[in-house]
Amino acid sequence: MSASKRDELLAKLFSPEGKPSALEGIKVVELSISNLVGSMVGALLRELGAEVVRVEPPDGDPSREVSPYGVKVKGLGIPYLIENAGKKILRLDLEREEDREELRKLLVSCDVIIDALKPGYLDSMNLGYRSISSENPRVIYLAISPYGHFSKKAEEMSNVPDSDLTAQAYNGYPSLIGNPSIRPVPLRAGIWAAWAMAAICAVTGILVALYERLKSGKGQFIDVATHEALAAVHIYPIIAGFLFERSRPQYGFLDYLLYPFGIFKTKDGYVTVATPFDTDFRAFLKLIKRWDLEPDWKYAVDRVTDDVDRIVELDREIRKELMKYSTQELIRKSSSRGFLPEALRRLVGRPVIVKSYTLREAIGEKHWYVRQSILKVKVDGKEMLVPNSPFRMSETPGRMPVEKIFAQEFLTKEALAAMTSRRGEESVRTS
Amino acid sequence: MSGYFEYVEKLFKSGEKRDPPLKGIKVLEMTHYVYGPTVGAVLARFGAEVVKVEPMGEGDRYRAAAMWMRMFKKANLNYIALNANKYVITLDARNAKAREILFKLASKADVFIENMRAGLLDALGLGYAHLSKVNPRVIYVSCSGYGQYGPLSKAPSFDVSAQGIIGLAMKTGWPDVDEFYKVPDYFGDYFPAMVAVATVLAALYYRERTGRGQYIDATQAESLFRFFYDVTYLSLTGEEIGKTGNVDPLAIASGIFPTSDGKFVAIAIMDERQLSALSKAMNADLMGPYKGRLRTKECMSELNELISRWASSKTLDEIMSCAKAYGFPAAPVLTDLDVYKDPWRWERGSTIEFDDRMYGKVHMPNLPIHMSATPPKVRWLGRPVGYHDRLVLKKWLGYTDEEIKRLEEEGIIGYWDQAPGMCPPDAWDIDNDPVFRGEKDECE
Repeated sequence: MSASKRDELLAKLFSPEGKPSALEGIKVVELSISNLVGSMVGALLRELGAEVVRVEPPDGDPSREVSPYGVKVKGLGIPYLIENAGKKILRLDLEREEDREELRKLLVSCDVIIDALKPGYLDSMNLGYRSISSENPRVIYLAISPYGHFSKKAEEMSNVPDSDLTAQAYNGYPSLIGNPSIRPVPLRAGIWAAWAMAAICAVTGILVALYERLKSGKGQFIDVATHEALAAVHIYPIIAGFLFERSRPQYGFLDYLLYPFGIFKTKDGYVTVATPFDTDFRAFLKLIKRWDLEPDWKYAVDRVTDDVDRIVELDREIRKELMKYSTQELIRKSSSRGFLPEALRRLVGRPVIVKSYTLREAIGEKHWYVRQSILKVKVDGKEMLVPNSPFRMSETPGRMPVEKIFAQEFLTKEALAAMTSRRGEESVRTS
Repeated sequence: MSGYFEYVEKLFKSGEKRDPPLKGIKVLEMTHYVYGPTVGAVLARFGAEVVKVEPMGEGDRYRAAAMWMRMFKKANLNYIALNANKYVITLDARNAKAREILFKLASKADVFIENMRAGLLDALGLGYAHLSKVNPRVIYVSCSGYGQYGPLSKAPSFDVSAQGIIGLAMKTGWPDVDEFYKVPDYFGDYFPAMVAVATVLAALYYRERTGRGQYIDATQAESLFRFFYDVTYLSLTGEEIGKTGNVDPLAIASGIFPTSDGKFVAIAIMDERQLSALSKAMNADLMGPYKGRLRTKECMSELNELISRWASSKTLDEIMSCAKAYGFPAAPVLTDLDVYKDPWRWERGSTIEFDDRMYGKVHMPNLPIHMSATPPKVRWLGRPVGYHDRLVLKKWLGYTDEEIKRLEEEGIIGYWDQAPGMCPPDAWDIDNDPVFRGEKDECE
């Protein structure tokens, strides 16, 4: 089959038109006020087709203000828009008895509860897992908070709100990033890495529980701590502690398993370089005409050591050399052999050199629009770009509901009554 | 209510436990490095039966990538921790007879995972189109950098390359230093892998209700784009945010600040309620003077300056006491060793000591997804190349010892090279190991 034919068939296979969603009929109640990570969890379930009701205080969720430099569209910040599009909003004053009763009705009739409030707060109003699960044993209760809903520390820290930056810090991320010879200060990753990881862990837990519930008929409690998830998924901090009884030093400009593996400056821009194997590294030396370095740095054990000073020597040479070439030259040279069968590639090696795009260049790639990785929404005469759902499924594609992105839909009393009169999942026909 | 945390703890420690949620789910993976293997790893922790196919001899090349090249009893801990609970077998997909066996195994799988170059398995007759014909219920996941179709689908990808192509590589660093740092520890592999896991689970749920399988085109790029709000910001303002050091531009004020006792504290004020809490803690008015210009760059740097000055006059403990008393986000900046030793992680069971049949006691993380009734579990660690060949051929395909012996002789299946990362520990009596001989399962 030709490559273009394959492309065509796949594009057709993945076309979302007229297809169902995986979680149709699943009802989610999201309690995530002043805490966007809970909305991120609800958002991913929404993309899979769940119906999500988010509870907000009478004057709205303060998270709508959270946005890069406060930029807003129709009064809403970017994360609020993207994460809450297509959800239904129920404004409740949880200090009022009757509003709490409304919430109770909703909670006992739903499939999934996302609790991103202060740990223990719902329970203090008798709306926590122990109360709801006794009435609705099928409920899947997901708690997401900085330190979790059990352990001594969870209780001690329960009054400390969540943020991505503090979660990165407690996961040890900033201690790995940067270059201490320039600025010996911990440095954050420039994306909500800790929140994103915790959110996807939470979604994974919920989906495992939903699947298991099909067999057992029972729900359960899932606890995800944002200050815990990232380092545990990454494995390495704990392996480093166990194996070396010490921390990896802060060398974000290098790596701990490979060299080179990072971002390098060229004559006219930046590239990322990866040489996973010794053969790739040797091919790389030939490419930059620095075969003289080969005897000293031949093996991975030479290039990946805790003796940072030593690697910095090599790194200095490599950086100096790469500055002599333009980005295009490097890319052309690294791919000049064209396609290599895997067996041959292993023998002769080839560095993976890819242009490091500025964001403007990145979003200009046609690829993202062919695949609808990025969606366009018209607003005030501008074209707003919104990332699509990452759930690329041929039968039940994930969907970012861009058509509803500005439609803040409030739940009416009637709609609420209709919703609480039925259980979520049962309303869907199963085969 | 008092006793809430004890109640939840009891629920997790001694509440009702049920069968592993993915018990009975068969998974076949042709994966290497981190992205693909992590998908199978998570499914295996929840009880799926995962068989990982590797080339004979050196196996998955991630086996050689140990931290600073330090091995543990001849094994790479990165590999054996990641590939826990899996059955590892060898089959060379370039060999026709091996492909036939692969196809037979795949025909029995509920889930098939691969992270080879886009289109490679199609070319070998092991693509979704081939497999779904004989196994229409299969959930087939291809993991790649940029997707199975589209102009960039053939571009090479590693964690850092995907970060580069979507513009994420230019996001981490100091605004005044001409250096860029990647998001560390292969975030560009692990995060997309978790997205792929969620996709598989959604597909399993759908299949359980409808009987239908499907194809999943999992990508690093699209996963990393998902929470990358800079994309939308650029389209609205025409500006790239770029590197901002320790400032989170989504916060009102934020940073990592030195404390008076020589440590660092991270503080991020996300909304006005938290700003008011910090005002009380600092005994300063952080609201009034900034009314109407909160979240502007100037206001951010003024506030950050004030916080920095305050933090430098307090110890880390004093600041954390304030955070607890008044309620604003703050945390110490941990190192690897702090994370490893943190009693909180041990208490919650996200860091565990696992006693493995082959490798003995190892400290490692468990999945940070705490589930009261169906917790994820480590049952055994990764194994040498080809270790489960005999077991899996018997168990999945009913091969006899003679048939297996013939396959060994013909070189269709094979075992490890005598090299670190691939072979068993030195003292291991492999010839008398009943699991290796295919006479006994790992956990019997």
